[in-house]
Amino acid sequence: MQTKHVVLKGTREGLVLYLDPHLEFNILLDEIENNLTKANQFLQGAAVHCYWVEKECSEKQSESLIGILERHGLEFSGWLTAADLPVPEKKIPESTMPEAKRFWEEGIAEAKCLFVEKTLRSGKSINFNGHVLVIGDVNPGAEIIATGNIIVLGVLRGVAHAGVAGERNAVVTAYHLNPTQLRIADHVTRAPDEEVAWRGPEIARISNGKIIVESLV
Amino acid sequence: MGEVIVVTSGKGGVGKTTTSANLGTGLAALGQKVVLVDTDIGLRNLDVVMGLENRIVYDLIDVTSGNCKLKQSLIKDKRFANLYLLPAAQTKDKSAIDPEQMLKLCQELKKEFDYTIIDCPAGIEQGFRNAIAGADCAIVVTTPEVSAVRDADRIIGLLEAAELYNPKLIINRIKPVMVKRGDMMDISDILDILAIDLLGVVPDDESIVISTNKGEPAVMNKASKAGEAYRRMTDRIRGEEVPLMNLDIPDSFFEKFKKLIGMR
Repeated sequence: MQTKHVVLKGTREGLVLYLDPHLEFNILLDEIENNLTKANQFLQGAAVHCYWVEKECSEKQSESLIGILERHGLEFSGWLTAADLPVPEKKIPESTMPEAKRFWEEGIAEAKCLFVEKTLRSGKSINFNGHVLVIGDVNPGAEIIATGNIIVLGVLRGVAHAGVAGERNAVVTAYHLNPTQLRIADHVTRAPDEEVAWRGPEIARISNGKIIVESLV
Repeated sequence: MGEVIVVTSGKGGVGKTTTSANLGTGLAALGQKVVLVDTDIGLRNLDVVMGLENRIVYDLIDVTSGNCKLKQSLIKDKRFANLYLLPAAQTKDKSAIDPEQMLKLCQELKKEFDYTIIDCPAGIEQGFRNAIAGADCAIVVTTPEVSAVRDADRIIGLLEAAELYNPKLIINRIKPVMVKRGDMMDISDILDILAIDLLGVVPDDESIVISTNKGEPAVMNKASKAGEAYRRMTDRIRGEEVPLMNLDIPDSFFEKFKKLIGMR
């Protein structure tokens, strides 16, 4: 989400909402309200930090901002100061990049988990703040959006979006991974156009800035 | 108490009306007391397929709005005295009736008839909700096309949400030649995705077009392959175990010859 005066960015620490320091707070609020209304339910359940350069805002202003965020299903997790801001990542040459860490080492091993014990048919949408485990198939036209991992004990033919709040260590696993589209955090990929035969259970995750699919066995 | 069966598909043009007409006629031929209800208000077709268009006096909306008695609106079929049609209104639209009225109507018909077959309109809006309101079970019709299967999948989900569990599947208009060539989805491809019980498979058949135009359901035509498929389905609805029709096409002369000389 990005407009003239308000920018929402995913960082390693989560989502940060940057506010233009040259503007009146009320105008900024209006713009945030507008943007969130347009942003649909995509951001539901995400936690957001806010940053307004050095300016201090009053308790009342802070409250009305929190109100707007909550009305759109976002969680306010605090103001940031300049010192907290993530330093832009230094480019590391590809060869020296560390191996992507496995997700359970990164602190999302323990989170809420939703069990779905039926096949998700076209038109069904699951939105969950945590992991989602489906015992059944996910058919084309159905979607699962989770802030954590997605595991399908069946055929995944629909759309899966893991780590929707920006968690790049999230993974999508399926007994037969054949999704219409696969998204992890801010990465999107789609299935190859030609039909693929079953290759056994697979796991999709981000490695070196790309979604890769590996065999689980 | 009879059974109310809704015939639905989501996608249009896959053969809901033809299926309703044939299953209804087939069940009547087996001696059951059957009523066909057309809920496609504004786009009624079932009367045409049954060849009863010119006998319509009152319709579904006349009944629900109290213009006539239910008995007056039922049209007796030309061929079977135990088969009736309740036609849809052509000059109104889907909002002329609501699910509650439909439920009441179905309960009334159930007392009188062994089978009430409801022809559902295409789509998932009010027409669909009306049609399924009074149903005890559902038949989902699809063709071996990706789009039709997608819509059938959605419909099965919506039926489950409306507590109509375990719908039965009819795969319509399958072309064995194309399936053999690998150019058409086969039965197992479709069942893989939809994962529901199969009621029957109807081969693509020109005689359906002819019988639809004539207003004589193909199920009465002993020479029609599609008619045979419908007859088997009515037997299955009656609770008999009937094998699926053999849709394999015999090898042509050249294929036999090739096999003989070991080219395949």
